[in-house]
Amino acid sequence: MKNSRKILAAVLTAAMAMGLAACGETAAAPSAASSAAAAPAAATSAAAAPAAATSAAAAASAASGDQKFTVGICQLVQHVALDAATKGFEDSLKAEFGDNITFDLQNAAGDSATCTTICNNFVSEGVDLILANATPALQAAASTTNSIPILGTSITDYGTAMNIDNFSGTVGGNISGTSDLAPLDQQAAMISELFPSAKKVGILYCSAEANSVYQSDVVKKNLEDAGLTVTVYTFADSNDVASVTQTACGENDVLYIPTDNTAASCTEAINNVAQPAGIPIVCGEEGICKGCGVATLSIDYYELGKTTGAMAAKILKGEADISTMPVEYYQNPVKEYNPDIAKALNVTIPDGYKAIDMSAK
Amino acid sequence: MGIASYFASLNPAGLLGRFPAGIAQGIIWGIMALGVYITFRLLDIADLTVDGSFTTGGAVTVMLILAGWNPWLAILAALLAGILAGMVTGILHTALGIPAILAGILTQFALYSINLAIMGMKANQAVSVDKYYLSITSRNVPAAILIGGLTAAVIIGLLYWYFGTEQGSALRATGCNPVMSRAQGININVMKVLGLALSNGLVALAGGLMAQFQGFSDINMGRGSIVIGLAAVIIGEVIGEATLGKHLNFAGRLAFVVLGGVIYYMVVILVLWLKLDSNMLKLFTAIIVAVFLAVPNLKAHARNSFGRAARNAAAGTSDKEAE
Repeated sequence: MKNSRKILAAVLTAAMAMGLAACGETAAAPSAASSAAAAPAAATSAAAAPAAATSAAAAASAASGDQKFTVGICQLVQHVALDAATKGFEDSLKAEFGDNITFDLQNAAGDSATCTTICNNFVSEGVDLILANATPALQAAASTTNSIPILGTSITDYGTAMNIDNFSGTVGGNISGTSDLAPLDQQAAMISELFPSAKKVGILYCSAEANSVYQSDVVKKNLEDAGLTVTVYTFADSNDVASVTQTACGENDVLYIPTDNTAASCTEAINNVAQPAGIPIVCGEEGICKGCGVATLSIDYYELGKTTGAMAAKILKGEADISTMPVEYYQNPVKEYNPDIAKALNVTIPDGYKAIDMSAK
Repeated sequence: MGIASYFASLNPAGLLGRFPAGIAQGIIWGIMALGVYITFRLLDIADLTVDGSFTTGGAVTVMLILAGWNPWLAILAALLAGILAGMVTGILHTALGIPAILAGILTQFALYSINLAIMGMKANQAVSVDKYYLSITSRNVPAAILIGGLTAAVIIGLLYWYFGTEQGSALRATGCNPVMSRAQGININVMKVLGLALSNGLVALAGGLMAQFQGFSDINMGRGSIVIGLAAVIIGEVIGEATLGKHLNFAGRLAFVVLGGVIYYMVVILVLWLKLDSNMLKLFTAIIVAVFLAVPNLKAHARNSFGRAARNAAAGTSDKEAE
């Protein structure tokens, strides 16, 4: 007992000493402003001094070496779409820089507080660029540093995510990125195109997802302008999905599901209710459509990640200033349909729709 | 990846650099753990309201800051909101006779909707340090450690004073022995409501600090916070008792609870730094917490003379193996 007490005390002391040493290290870093190309716009707040100092040191070492770059990737949660975006980003940068780029990929496993821990780690290690995959990751990164360039991806609306009034399309500061927003007006038009006789449309999403609320608002407005009755149904988590879907199916002719992560993980549950009820679902992305939808306007997250990677390459090479880079959108959304469910529900798919490959699930 | 290249890829200096931010975050969770300590240790109730009230604190703070409030006033408002949440649990438990653990779960459940409503029916509200004056932010980690540490010290001081007053002592007595307390004329139902309110107030206050630190409040930010809170309480106690033993007084205990939060975050950072598959993060954390929970128990068991006698009788050996 006495021994173990001593050991514990020693471990504790060591931990505290290391913590103190680490504080000292951060504080002692030179506070000179960075002149390296990789560093973005000047600090806007005096509070940023330590972060700016760390990144300045890192940027300087990157510039003096053989242009080796480290990119920190903070991904909110394990998810097919987010994984694809990360993969596309990595592939694009690997093609550009080869062995001169290393990735530190960290997944917060769904915990928003862990995003902050991860981003703080990136800042303390002075990565050259942070990729924030999903909204809380971007917010955590933005809160952590205003000097290291941050690119977001899989973010639907930067105005909502960053709390910007009258969002102009450029975030400014050290933040830019790509949006996974498929043109919402086209999605709304798709509902009218596929189901001309539908009068009532239900929108289904998880109330915990900021992106979904935004999409729901826009689609609702578009559909109401087209003379349809729209009702919004939200579920709190995967446990309520089945019963909320049941209610929505009972009261509507067609359902719409935006790019909602929780819905994406519950497509089987939704399909098990909607298909027997004979209610077709139009979805915001391919993954959900594959599981429970009839048709979608598809965003390829891998391609979106590659677009983000191209932006990162420009920033790292000093060809572009992140503060003036507008948020980029996915250019070529494809109209797709789910052949299995379309057949089961006897939905006639017009020309111009591509069948989703159901085998690669 | 080979073992050698795996170790080569680890950067010890990087680990040191990561600790300050972990300390800052750990202190905030430590303040939250002080709330958990009040219910879990002093009242002997496992209160699950905290997963909801932590978010409530964050939501209230962010919305008030967005409305132009001073961040410290916003945090005080969060404290009040947390106290209300705790009172709901307390009343469900005492006046309506719902078992404490269920009352907490019910309130936590209800708070999901209430938190959404507080945030204007949005799941996530950002509060940017560039646009608003914040009391604590991950942008400036040394200041965050200082402010968090001072806040924790003030709270520990206040709690130490309060639990020394007649009412505070009555509250502690209620947790120790409700039957005896009632016989002494203590209204134990009032004490339970009071303890739950105080506890959730602190949790919400920590939620308010966390939301500012990370720059947003999110409907899911409180998920699993009871686990972190309990982990901090237990890690703190184990280490406190191991280092100070019988000299560990009440204020010391509270300080070690905050330290427990810091150590918990050190572990998280270590796991991330080791580049262990982050999909396994929750498993590793659960294992570490389970170890801290189990060690005191197993030690007590090993030292228990009855248990040792029983084992000796069964095995017919000396007690050397027991240690």
